[in-house]
Amino acid sequence: MSARVVITGLGVVSPIGIGVPQFWKAALEGRSGISAISAFDPFPLEGYRSRVAGRILEFSPEQYLPVGQGDRVDRYAQFALVAAKEALADADFRIEREEPHRVGVIVGAGMGGMVMGEREITQLYEQKRPHRVHPNFIPVITLNSASGIVAMAYGAKGPNLTISTACSSSAHALGQAMHAIRAGSADAVIVVGADASITPLVFAGFCSLRALSTKYNDAPERASRPFDKGRDGFVMGEGAGALILESLSHAKKRNARMYAEVAGYAATSEAYHMVIPREDGEEVATTMRLALKDAGVTPAQVDYINAHATSTTVGDAVEVKAIRLLFKSRADKLAVSATKSLVGHTLGAAGSLAGIVSALTLTSGQIHPTLNLDDPDPACALAGLSAQPQARKTKVALINAFGFGSNNAAVVLKAIST
Amino acid sequence: MAKTTEVSDKIIQALADYLKRDAASIQPTHHLRDDLGLDSMAVIEMLYRIEEVFNLQIPDQDLVGLTTVGQVIAYVHDRVMPAPAAPKKPAAKRSTKSKKA
Repeated sequence: MSARVVITGLGVVSPIGIGVPQFWKAALEGRSGISAISAFDPFPLEGYRSRVAGRILEFSPEQYLPVGQGDRVDRYAQFALVAAKEALADADFRIEREEPHRVGVIVGAGMGGMVMGEREITQLYEQKRPHRVHPNFIPVITLNSASGIVAMAYGAKGPNLTISTACSSSAHALGQAMHAIRAGSADAVIVVGADASITPLVFAGFCSLRALSTKYNDAPERASRPFDKGRDGFVMGEGAGALILESLSHAKKRNARMYAEVAGYAATSEAYHMVIPREDGEEVATTMRLALKDAGVTPAQVDYINAHATSTTVGDAVEVKAIRLLFKSRADKLAVSATKSLVGHTLGAAGSLAGIVSALTLTSGQIHPTLNLDDPDPACALAGLSAQPQARKTKVALINAFGFGSNNAAVVLKAIST
Repeated sequence: MAKTTEVSDKIIQALADYLKRDAASIQPTHHLRDDLGLDSMAVIEMLYRIEEVFNLQIPDQDLVGLTTVGQVIAYVHDRVMPAPAAPKKPAAKRSTKSKKA
């Protein structure tokens, strides 16, 4: 029988708090991490249709990391280091007590090292001095720089992988880590999701794609409004989430505190369109169904869904359609929340933040509010969505994550029952 | 034109900035790797800064001769202050070793 997998540590860097206690308190209080972008120097702000984002306004790596550790990596990887550090400490996971080759790192990242990437590209094209491209440009923009630096910082010598499937990246990181542990190729995996690309080029790209909210530039906290009639696109966020996954036997052996079991996972492709989901919701429903089957639970056993819910017109409606397809009358008995209403869409970090929220929901029975649900859209109405925090006993949580490239993931967490 | 002490001061300051330590603690006799703890990537980053400070391009084949602070100072000094006797050979002390492809 394959190993069962549990979560034993959590770490967060987010627009509503750095550190799990701060993050979770802010989430339950329904605090928004969305603020106005006041400048994209030297670019004219008028050129950006959207001017709101979930930014982490006060972050310096020196505050959280040993001197020099974050120097050679981009902002997203610095976030990853900080989140992983917290998660390891939270799990009381000490690499010196482990067989290092049995400890893996799997990172989900959508964009990678775009801060330096954009700077160097801009300088090269403006100044036309190829010899002045920074020697660290390649190692920084290579998409596995975060998984590499996390392993180096914390001594994890096992499987080291990066998954990049846009907005579903770290949901797959969770699922693939579960597979690695189930298959016996690792005792533990440090799972991280991270992105920090609220940068002039990437942000302009999402603006041009007409994917971002533009109606609430003067009221940033109202811009991310999943399932609300007034939603008009997602709000970019940045951050990182880290989760320590271990086999149940390994966690028991070291007497670790357990948040939840990672019980099931499904990965599918809609094989349909680069950025548009299939509107009938069939593929999303299939993904959820496969994940539940993998977890050995029925739709009737699910208590909570951490929805992908980015606040786009089509995406949110498709997700609810899919939930109704799969859960039928159970759909209105589920508690549902949209974490992106708090922090925006953190891209590669989104799945990991959803995992953290779901683990905390399972342990506490508390469901964070979905902000800005002022006028729920009938096209995506669910009785269990609420602008207020909810308290409910939850035993099974389902995480949805969908990415550009027709990519879907679903992960099932269960409350601990050993 | 830069004087020797100016070159030396600028290089030591660039190193101090890079290493985040006091310039006074860096000596010309210091070995970049053994004394200052720079790995090969760090040496490349440090030379990248020095190239900017002195508006130089340091060819790959010259890197092998740059293992101490003093060697870097002497090298940069030669590049920015060509010897009057040999104006056509500004990098008189350049290593002739070629980098293995």
